Amino acid sequence: MSEGLTHAAWSDALREGVLLGGACDDCGATVGTPKAACPHCGARGLEPVELPTAGTVYTETTVEVPPEGIDERGYQVAVVDLGVARVLGRLDGAAEIGDAVALAGHVEDEQGYVVPRFEPA
Amino acid sequence: MPRVAVVGAGMTEFGIHDVPLEELFAEAAFGALDDAGAEPADVEALYFGNAMSGQAENATHLGPKVAAHAGMAGIPVQRFEDACATSANAFKNAVAAVEAGVHDAVLVGGVERCTPETGRDTAAMTRVFASASHRQYEQPAGLTFPGVFALLTKRHMHEHGTTEEQLAHVAVKNHGNGALNPRAHFGKEVTIEEVLDGPVVADPFRLMDCCPFSDGASAVVVVGDDVADSYDAPVDVTGVGHATDVVPIADKKTPHVTQAARDAAEEAYEQAGVSADDIDFAEVHDCFTGAEVLASEALGLVADGEGGPAAAAGRTARDGDVPINPSGGLKAKGHPIGATGTAQVVELTEQLRGEAGARQLPDADRAVAHNLGGDAATTVVSVMEVRG
Repeated sequence: MSEGLTHAAWSDALREGVLLGGACDDCGATVGTPKAACPHCGARGLEPVELPTAGTVYTETTVEVPPEGIDERGYQVAVVDLGVARVLGRLDGAAEIGDAVALAGHVEDEQGYVVPRFEPA
Repeated sequence: MPRVAVVGAGMTEFGIHDVPLEELFAEAAFGALDDAGAEPADVEALYFGNAMSGQAENATHLGPKVAAHAGMAGIPVQRFEDACATSANAFKNAVAAVEAGVHDAVLVGGVERCTPETGRDTAAMTRVFASASHRQYEQPAGLTFPGVFALLTKRHMHEHGTTEEQLAHVAVKNHGNGALNPRAHFGKEVTIEEVLDGPVVADPFRLMDCCPFSDGASAVVVVGDDVADSYDAPVDVTGVGHATDVVPIADKKTPHVTQAARDAAEEAYEQAGVSADDIDFAEVHDCFTGAEVLASEALGLVADGEGGPAAAAGRTARDGDVPINPSGGLKAKGHPIGATGTAQVVELTEQLRGEAGARQLPDADRAVAHNLGGDAATTVVSVMEVRG
């Protein structure tokens, strides 16, 4: 009974270079990850929408002390503002808040979960 | 009008404890009971917090384990998990139950062991802590908890011009306060230069911008307002607010404002019939220096954007106009996750009684505790006052 955007559909799209989000008809909010109902107003049935793949860095940090399971250090994690919504992902190539970035792929963890990977535009 | 009263408070030293969770919790529980002049048999229910011992040391179903170890087998125990806001959530529910007359006297507390010395190493605990970020939409990026608060803090720096040196002032202040607290994990003062020269964990945070992994336990005894005066040193609880925010971070409306803290503070202040201007001091959730800056603004103790300058100007020092974290905070006192919320209540209780020793604040009549969980998606704010 899973109407609307699911994690599986979101992940499949990301692997194809497409970012999906959910748009709320009631309050006008758009979110960058699947939700069963609008997190801002509670309305059910967010409409799956294709998000822009380019935007600007909203905030970022470089992680020097990684969790177990990640061998590299000094990788950048960013929240990217796509205009209608924001998404979190990896950022390859140094960029600061306000810099233009674009989707450049995805990173995948040991369980097969994927998140977006951005590069400076 | 008090909702309930805290009549006993106890906590272990925060630091390294190579003992089972049950023994650690019992030390805090008996400290609270002794302080109240009560016995285990007087406790009608236990509201218990533990965040991650299932992951960290394969210990779950801890409620009856700690109750049985401390002479309270048989009573109902409810266990709370809300990341770093774990035992404040236990406290909130205990206050509600006692106020409603479900129980006359309850024990509230929490325990956690997080140090590499007694458990898993830094990389493993970093992964355990990261379980509070979204499994599908955040963890695959390698986001850590220093990273979570770095994301919030860097946006705050961008919006308001907050500087790394201002953040360092938070660390220096809280280390200084911790040096006066015999139960603090870190008991030494540090300098701005030492903080700014430390290795980067997740920029802008360097090592001394971050709280430590700690072992410890804390507990308080909560009773109804109608019986509080039969105890030696009751302190009133006049408001407890609790709110959540959207997860993951990217879907929050404005991540760095920590909206849950603002909503919880509004609720707590309204219950207490006070405003931020009436607060004499605060214990806030400074898991990272930037988190204290965000909290000081969310609680209304300083204006938005003024958290950094206020710390640098000494306004939040023990002799400032709005003292924050006289205990040393998570930064210096330590942060055994499930014990932190009620440890803040312990500090409020001791300060409001005038029993805080070398770190005692003058004229402390009303205080606020701010305990945050996860990526600021849970916050519990509690107002306590000298009994009127």
